[in-house]
Amino acid sequence: MPTYLSTHLQRRSALPLEDALSEGRYRTAERVLAEKTPDQVIEEVKSAGLRGRGGAWFPAGTKWSFMPKELKGPSYLVVNADEGEPGTFKDRQIMEKDPHLLLEGILISAYAVRAETTFVYIRGEYLDSYRAMVRALEEARARGLFGRNVFGTGRNIDVVVHRGAGAYICGEETALLNSLEGRRGEPRPKPPFPASHGAFGRPTTVNNVETIANVPVILEKGTAWYRTMGTTQAPGNVLFGVSGPVNRPGLYELPVGTTAREILEKHAGGMKDNRKLKAFIPGGASTGFLPASMLDVPMDPESLKAKGTMMGTGGLIAIPEGVSIVEAARVFSRFFRHETCGQCSPCREGSAWSDRIIGNFTRGQGRRSDLKVLQDIADGSVRKTICVFPEAYAGPMLSAIKHFRAEFEALAKE
Amino acid sequence: MPKLTIDGKIVEVPPRTNLVEAGKKVNVVVPIYCYHPALSVVASCRMCQVELHAPNQPVRLVAACRTEALEGMQISTSGPDATRARAAVLEFLLANHPLDCPICDKAGECDLQDYSFLYGSGQGRFEEKKREGVKHELIGNHILLDQERCIMCTRCVRFMDEYAKSPSLLVKGRGDQSVIATFPGEKIQSNYEGNLSDICPVGALTSKEFRFKSRVWDLCSSDSVCTLCDRLCTVRLEVKRGRLFRVRPIENPQVNGWFMCDRGRFGLLDHCNPGERATRAFAGASSVGTETAILALATKLRELRQELICVLSARLSCEEILLARRAFAPFVRPEGLLFLPAVEEGGDGILYTGRQAANEAGLKLLGIRPATDSELRAVLSTGGPSAAVFFDHKDAERAQARASCAFLALIDVVPRNLPEAPLHADVFVPGLLFSEKEGTMINCSAILERLRRAQPAPEGVAGERSVLERLGDLLKADRTEIEGPDLTSAVTRALGLPQRTLAQIPRLGLKVPSSAPALETARR
Repeated sequence: MPTYLSTHLQRRSALPLEDALSEGRYRTAERVLAEKTPDQVIEEVKSAGLRGRGGAWFPAGTKWSFMPKELKGPSYLVVNADEGEPGTFKDRQIMEKDPHLLLEGILISAYAVRAETTFVYIRGEYLDSYRAMVRALEEARARGLFGRNVFGTGRNIDVVVHRGAGAYICGEETALLNSLEGRRGEPRPKPPFPASHGAFGRPTTVNNVETIANVPVILEKGTAWYRTMGTTQAPGNVLFGVSGPVNRPGLYELPVGTTAREILEKHAGGMKDNRKLKAFIPGGASTGFLPASMLDVPMDPESLKAKGTMMGTGGLIAIPEGVSIVEAARVFSRFFRHETCGQCSPCREGSAWSDRIIGNFTRGQGRRSDLKVLQDIADGSVRKTICVFPEAYAGPMLSAIKHFRAEFEALAKE
Repeated sequence: MPKLTIDGKIVEVPPRTNLVEAGKKVNVVVPIYCYHPALSVVASCRMCQVELHAPNQPVRLVAACRTEALEGMQISTSGPDATRARAAVLEFLLANHPLDCPICDKAGECDLQDYSFLYGSGQGRFEEKKREGVKHELIGNHILLDQERCIMCTRCVRFMDEYAKSPSLLVKGRGDQSVIATFPGEKIQSNYEGNLSDICPVGALTSKEFRFKSRVWDLCSSDSVCTLCDRLCTVRLEVKRGRLFRVRPIENPQVNGWFMCDRGRFGLLDHCNPGERATRAFAGASSVGTETAILALATKLRELRQELICVLSARLSCEEILLARRAFAPFVRPEGLLFLPAVEEGGDGILYTGRQAANEAGLKLLGIRPATDSELRAVLSTGGPSAAVFFDHKDAERAQARASCAFLALIDVVPRNLPEAPLHADVFVPGLLFSEKEGTMINCSAILERLRRAQPAPEGVAGERSVLERLGDLLKADRTEIEGPDLTSAVTRALGLPQRTLAQIPRLGLKVPSSAPALETARR
């Protein structure tokens, strides 16, 4: 099974530029900038079917094609490295171990979307990622790989590495842009979309780290090769992150559509100490709980959507028997209550209220009627706010009630 | 112009109109909290969600405040989805709201209260302990903040940033811990602070001047203008038992937009509630009835014919200016009908003009001549006219009139009852405040606006209007130019406008053509 994302993720520190160059890094970028037009790059990424790895799985080439072709003034590429979804730890590995993979992806992507400046917005807590990226960028700049007249093509492509200040919501692309501009990290109403009014009011494309890291191999080996991996609708590999009491927690680069069972049992070595799996979270906290009986679901956006959840970030969390789903739901409700930006009333109040209700259940103070209230909180906020944050907090809460209702009822006092 | 349907009513609106404004045109009220037409749109309260119906597509909820009205849109504000969404927003907003309406100044005019009544469920399901926050903290010179009542619409933050141009509020914290606050160690320093309590849709921002003074439903309101500068902001004067309790701006795009300044808002409370004031007329050294004073003045005017100057004041309404002109013009010396223009203090670049001369434009447009202080002093002291009539005691003081006039008459509102006439005037007749008058004034951009009587005249005070009319009649002045259904119709005629009575003056005023005929001073 070919891999192209995780080649160097076993390292203890970042792959230095010299080693990266000797492996052929940046050669694809050099060739693309010399031989292809930006539109040809966009077409290739489109036909490869690359979809965004940040959780929404939006087709990347389509997103790029929204960028204006004729420009008066700057436009930007923004790399979303504000990896904050609980259970997700893939982007940091790319930045810390193989930063030149990302940087080469940036060169090609920035060229495609006609951006001279790329901002890499790194989660505030990811100090190591920040340092690795800054160091790698310095190395690459010293070699003339970034800056003015890249590869002698006359093009200027450069990167600004920016640290966030520790807010989950800044992973939402327009909140990220606000934060980048120095404003409160609050999502912007859409439209306008970033492709017309993004960073500093200019056309902007925002892509996840892993998405950009997929770009070089598509241009290097071609669309047909790329489509040999993954599903028809979502080709390529994903970095699945497995956490929880499994024998080998970690990152596994596997094709989109690998079943959760294969990931957990074969690659992550199954449950530790022969514990039994009770439930799992397929792709980060907001995707909610699935019972162990659904372990054979292929991990691809379409299959998971059919199960009423989402592919998310591929951050798979294993939950063993013995763990209370109500307690687990509380962990997430507290997280989301803490992380909502609070601008929209339904989300601000709904996340806090639901957290308190779930908290009541954990203390045996819940009521059966509260389950209806939780459902109403979700109904009153999901798809009724500026961004999709209510979907995020409703995910774990509603899936917990749907699949493990008895546990709530057992903790109800009436 | 896009044409669309809102709740079955067809409306045509200019391009780029949002759905809240489009609804207003056909009397469909879309409930709002964070939206304000004068401020940037954040679309965060989610109260204005309406249903967008499109053929072959599921019903979609959109925030009316930031959705542009487009050709052919089918909007419903009362369908099941919109109704449910609104009820949900209200349940969320009320969850942590203290529900202290019985002691809240906003009660009776609170959007949270009103919309809860209209669209809410009537029963709360939130049984947790409510969030606690700062209560009644003075955050500026007038406004008190109650974080517990706040629904985080952020209108106040945007108002201070965008309109008052004095960024002084912020959202502190995140999520359900977010609160409105001032910057650490700072307070609001702005001439527009008072507007915060108007734009706050709940009782989170109240003014210390009105706090606990009255229930809003006990106030009688009259729409008039603020006369503390010549912007003449359109305002609502709210009165109880003859006392002015509150002043609020009324939306008037061509005058003041939606707001007014604090100098006007709070200044009027002092101006219109002067406490003790001179209410007795004087002739010579003795207190007399108004009629006696008018007779004494008429006698004197006949005696002093052509030696007189008459200094009108910008505090007079157009009707009074017209009557004064009619009464005095035949008696004053050439160019003796004049006024002292206000001292330019410099405005604040927003609404306050810095010219404390309410109806100065009315004086000018009705042909009264501006004179400088020194010019007036020179006229008074060089043995020219030996008699002067003033309509503002401050003008008389500015001209040092008492020292140089053989005869001084004063018709004005003067602070206190003294045993003698104010300024030792030979004739003194008490005047009325603008808030005790009906009539019109003209603002700095030549908008003719209406004054409405909001407060009763003090007992025994007849007012400038009847005094001047009576005086003119006693002096047998020509009635031609004041004839008509009412005096305002004479004013509009004199200004070159189509004739209109007071009742016909539109709510938002009338633009006076800049080429208003500067009238010949009638002389005889």
